[in-house]
Amino acid sequence: MLLTTSVGSLPKPEYLMKARSRARKGEIGAQELKRLEEQATREWIAFQDDLGIDIVVDGEQYRGDMVAYFAEQLAGFKTSELVRSYGNRYYRKPIIVDRVRRLKPMTVSWWQFAQRLTSRPVKGMLTGPYTIMDWSFNEHYPSRRATALALAEVVREEARDLERAGAQYIQIDEPAISTRLDEIDLAIDALGIVTKGLRAKTITHICYGNFKALAPKLMKLPVDQIDLEFANRKFELLDSFRRMRFTKEVGLGVVDVHSHRIEPLDEVVANLTKSLAVFRPDQIYVDPDCGLKTRTPDEAKEKLRVVVEAARVVRERLCNGRSKTPARRVKAAK
Amino acid sequence: MITTVVGNFPKVAEPGYGTQVIGALNRWQKQELSDAGLEEVFQGVTRTVIKEHEDAGIDLVTDGQIRWEDLVTPLARKLDGFTINGLERFFDNNVYYRKPILQSKPVRKQPVFLQEYLFAKRCTSRPIKVVLPGPYTFVSLSEDRYYRNQAKFLRRMAEILNEEARALAQAGASLIQFDEPALGFGKPPLKEIRGALQVAVAGLPTKTALYTYFGSVTAETLRMLQRVPVDLIGVDVVSDPKVLGAVRRLKWTKELAVGCLDARNTKLESVTELHALFDVLRRLVPTDRFTVNPNCGLEFLPHRQAVEKIRRLAEAVRTYRPDSNGRSLAARPRTGRRRTTRLAPRGSRTGDR
Repeated sequence: MLLTTSVGSLPKPEYLMKARSRARKGEIGAQELKRLEEQATREWIAFQDDLGIDIVVDGEQYRGDMVAYFAEQLAGFKTSELVRSYGNRYYRKPIIVDRVRRLKPMTVSWWQFAQRLTSRPVKGMLTGPYTIMDWSFNEHYPSRRATALALAEVVREEARDLERAGAQYIQIDEPAISTRLDEIDLAIDALGIVTKGLRAKTITHICYGNFKALAPKLMKLPVDQIDLEFANRKFELLDSFRRMRFTKEVGLGVVDVHSHRIEPLDEVVANLTKSLAVFRPDQIYVDPDCGLKTRTPDEAKEKLRVVVEAARVVRERLCNGRSKTPARRVKAAK
Repeated sequence: MITTVVGNFPKVAEPGYGTQVIGALNRWQKQELSDAGLEEVFQGVTRTVIKEHEDAGIDLVTDGQIRWEDLVTPLARKLDGFTINGLERFFDNNVYYRKPILQSKPVRKQPVFLQEYLFAKRCTSRPIKVVLPGPYTFVSLSEDRYYRNQAKFLRRMAEILNEEARALAQAGASLIQFDEPALGFGKPPLKEIRGALQVAVAGLPTKTALYTYFGSVTAETLRMLQRVPVDLIGVDVVSDPKVLGAVRRLKWTKELAVGCLDARNTKLESVTELHALFDVLRRLVPTDRFTVNPNCGLEFLPHRQAVEKIRRLAEAVRTYRPDSNGRSLAARPRTGRRRTTRLAPRGSRTGDR
């Protein structure tokens, strides 16, 4: 119960950021870049192992954008010129120009690399078909539905391959799902194609958007676990769950990934305890709100440390009645 | 038929005017570039963007809003009473804006967009329109910690927008457009919005427009907009084709601006499909009372596709020949003749090259 994990991305160390920029300029080769990506992955796995995170991630050190990474490997996509995302930030938005096909597995060898480094389960990390559709231009398919369903087929192939390789947990992120609630049924249909028949535990992460309107559809999402950001909404989401029947597992984001502030242990313990009034302990997976890649490596490590310690404190309290001693002991140990 | 654009245009163009805006803003943020230096870059890009609109054959141009970070913060930052908060999603797009927070009574102490307009005017002989956020959209995208009352906030923003619009109209803006994408979402409080819009457009000695885009605008909302004293109402047929049904059911009394190319997707519309749409529109409003444009600002697109879209729009209008039954004839480019539009000054060329 209260198993700890993280949402997917972890920050890239300084040396890898530099290498990526040099690789873009053609100053270092693909092999050298890959060597550094492997080094960073090794470091993150070792960190998670030492910390005692129950379900680890590879940290996506080899990915840039969560949609572009897949678009670059799939046939049928091309890259656009720059478009602005906000402020002074720009990105290359993929364009679907032909039938989308998967030429080879896209994440499996990285998953295998990570899993060889640890005895803990490594989570397979994919971007969902609805989000890939919503975050791409489409010049080929006749409708948004046709696009999402076609993408669902290729994401499904990837999920199958991850499962075949041994992944026990497969997360299919759909951050775009809360953007257009009139399309929620499409998102559910597409995700259903991906998860149908998988024996691995399936998870989806959703962020932003109008949660109140989304809440009635949560139970319809064809996954075992739904991961949500609780911390940056000050746990107001708990109220929505109090009023509904929710029997899936919940990924409970307990630290805000958009703030530099490291949440004090007491605060996270208190929020986690509050959540136990709404969810059963075995329903809850404890993690940060979202991917930590926007934080510095040190901030990310501190935030993960708080996640793991808070879960440990609450677990011990649950096992030993509501005694306060374990909390003090953990604090003293720190 | 008049061709126009809704507002913004890509700030970077590779190849073209390049990525100088990105670099300049980065240096300005690090205080390595002065305000004047940044303004120089903005002006250079703005001049090029206006020229691109002219070359594409757009009749009524904007300055591309190259200085604008989003629809609301350029105004909020120049008014007293606001602080600017973190990122929020901009309607149903994977694009974000910073949320203005109202902390005290909003006050406009000086003109906000006047200098930008005056610069743009010097760049072209074409009529230039100025685009402002509509009061309801501004209020919807902001957080009110002062009035804690939407009707009051709305009213006050309408007064401020009216002050700004008057200054721009006096400076010569050919048309003042208020963007109200928020009308396409949820259940807008129509009575309050109508009151606010009336205040916003009151006494303007120039042509005025209200643009809706994104989401889905109901017939009730359009009926309300028809009762506001504006000349032109914009609808987005791409996001919601049903809006034309609503226009048909209403007794349409205004000029109609139709967003008929998808400015949120790179797929380029064909001249044939645009002509088919014009045929439908002709039955709703006489051609001399409608304007055509992309469905929203072009900044969602990469530069190359943004230019292709406005070229295609102008091409479709140039080659459109309705026959007496309202069906278009085979399109043949017309050379040496010029359509007269109400907004084009005499002697200006509207796109035939």
